[in-house]
Amino acid sequence: MAVRVLVLTGFGINCERETAFAFERAGARARLVHLNDLIADPSRLDWHHVFAIPGGFSFGDDIASGKILANRLRYRLGGPLQKFLDDGKLAIGICNGFQVMAKMGMLPYFDGQFAQEVTLTHNDSSRFEDRWVTLAAAASPCVWTRGVELLEVPVRHGEGKFVVRDAEVLARLEQNRQIVLRYVQRDGAPASGAFPANPNGSVDDIAGICDPSGRILGLMPHPEAHVHRTNHPRWTRETLPAEGAGLRIFHNAVSYAAATV
Amino acid sequence: MQRSVEATVLGEFTDSGLLECYYEGKCIAQISMDFLHNGVPRMHLEAALTPTPATASPPRVTESNFKQALLSVLGALNVCSKEPFVRMYDHEVQGQSVLKPFQGISHDGPGDAGVIRPLPNSKRGIAVACGITPKYSELDAYHMMACAVDEAVRNLVCVGARLGHIAGLDNFCWPDPVESDKNPDGAHKLAQLVRCCQALYDTCVAYDIPLISGKDSMKNDYRIGDTKISIPPTVLFTAAAVLEDVERVVSMDAKQAGDLVYVLGETREELGGSEYFGVRGLGGGAVPQVDTTRTRRLYDSLAEVMEAGLVASCHDCSDGGLAVALAEMAFAGGLGMALDLGPLRGLPMEAALFSETPGRFVATIRPENQTEFEARMQGQSVHFLGRVTGEDEFNIARDGQTLVRAKVGELKQAWQRPLQL
Repeated sequence: MAVRVLVLTGFGINCERETAFAFERAGARARLVHLNDLIADPSRLDWHHVFAIPGGFSFGDDIASGKILANRLRYRLGGPLQKFLDDGKLAIGICNGFQVMAKMGMLPYFDGQFAQEVTLTHNDSSRFEDRWVTLAAAASPCVWTRGVELLEVPVRHGEGKFVVRDAEVLARLEQNRQIVLRYVQRDGAPASGAFPANPNGSVDDIAGICDPSGRILGLMPHPEAHVHRTNHPRWTRETLPAEGAGLRIFHNAVSYAAATV
Repeated sequence: MQRSVEATVLGEFTDSGLLECYYEGKCIAQISMDFLHNGVPRMHLEAALTPTPATASPPRVTESNFKQALLSVLGALNVCSKEPFVRMYDHEVQGQSVLKPFQGISHDGPGDAGVIRPLPNSKRGIAVACGITPKYSELDAYHMMACAVDEAVRNLVCVGARLGHIAGLDNFCWPDPVESDKNPDGAHKLAQLVRCCQALYDTCVAYDIPLISGKDSMKNDYRIGDTKISIPPTVLFTAAAVLEDVERVVSMDAKQAGDLVYVLGETREELGGSEYFGVRGLGGGAVPQVDTTRTRRLYDSLAEVMEAGLVASCHDCSDGGLAVALAEMAFAGGLGMALDLGPLRGLPMEAALFSETPGRFVATIRPENQTEFEARMQGQSVHFLGRVTGEDEFNIARDGQTLVRAKVGELKQAWQRPLQL
């Protein structure tokens, strides 16, 4: 049975096509669904195994990046989404999608409830940045990053600085091993907050987190933007595999979903 | 509406021959189609080219420190890195980018053309590049335009595009070309516009480039008190080409120690408007000119050797000339170069290094491809200059005499520093 992925679209989301392409490359069937259509018929979620919120600038980044889409999802689709996640299905939020997940409280999802504990705020540079970064996967229950050690992918955001409500939240994320991906230097050494390895000043160099179960992943960098060898910034001077390293994230989700749900 | 898009019906097409507007049932405007389309009387303007003193005697300069001159030119505002600004734009939307604006080992070398793959399942791509050379307008707006077209085309050829698959866009920004009491040199600016349009026609026809779009902005003057500031006559020429296989594109960074370095295309003493004259505070001089008969042949041959996979890296010579192109390729690759400009011995050193003659490239070739590359480029202006090295040394000599001896990092720093945020 094919794994079916619902990729959200509409209102300024602009990475839905390559996100769907990455899932399809990984063997899933991906479908673009407009937010309005999903609100009109939330039962569309039932048919799918993975829910993806792609990158973009939903609702023009008004108020704060992801805030309006976060409220739409939480207050118009909160129940169906909670059921979707309680059923053991998967979700990913990339860039703007991660901002949405943080602001609606779908991550870190400490007690299986939507509650905001973390956010993504303006980069320390105060600028939008498009640059490639190196990520290191930490030991975590995350099913999306299984087998990943170092991963090169681009960041493309102005509000990507990961911050927590308080020290207790950070301690809890660490204790639950919910910190999935950290910005590191190209050789894997810690970025220690230093630009440009850590492109935005994120606390503890955090680039992505998951829920306690490891089925929900949110990350600022774009794994769907590294699906071909030719996406890599040094492909004209290095020997690289034909498949881009970012695709591993999507393969992992598809394998997990195929085996479990 | 289903997609929450606000849309309102405003009216309908009719056969009345009139544009009619109503507000609350009352007709508030009525204009005939004939007046709307043909009502503006055609302007009749006089153009007269006033020769500038610049065309008189070319300045002579004898450089005493070529290394310092190179560092200054690398830091000139038209040459230096604009990376912090470029990174403020999302240049990877939809995950399509194949060649990004900044290339090389540290992703900071200046690329010639951007390449995207619009359809993820196809190998076909689109290369996009620009040319802009308003600094030559004062010398001759004809050659300004020809150089801008050539620069955009060269940038496309650098990544592997072929003539015949290129389309162009011309965007004009001009000082007011209508003479009046407040604009006493309008006739000259109009004459510059005529010269420019002649060059646009000649060059695009020579390169088989259809102009598919463009725009103009013709009143770029600012007055404060008695001072009037006008922009130089400017055309931004953008060109796009279809590429059959994005996996064959070539980036500008030097690839590995031992590769051979060539300059392709003829270098002439054309320092007028150059970055070198800029940093030395010199006006006048010979304006760079495009010889499309020669360049066309070179571009066709280069496209062929690139398609055959014989070129490791390619970069065009533009602002700052040959010396800047060589330095950029070296520091983008994190590699050194050992070069001798002996083959350009007919020229003064200042011109060999900094002349901005269009139609030129620097290419690096793997040693195993040397024979085939040289055979296929037979009959073109191709000169071997030296090798890429693994040392942190960028050395340029002429006939054994060292002119520039610099650290690669020092060159990169000079280029990055001016606009670092």
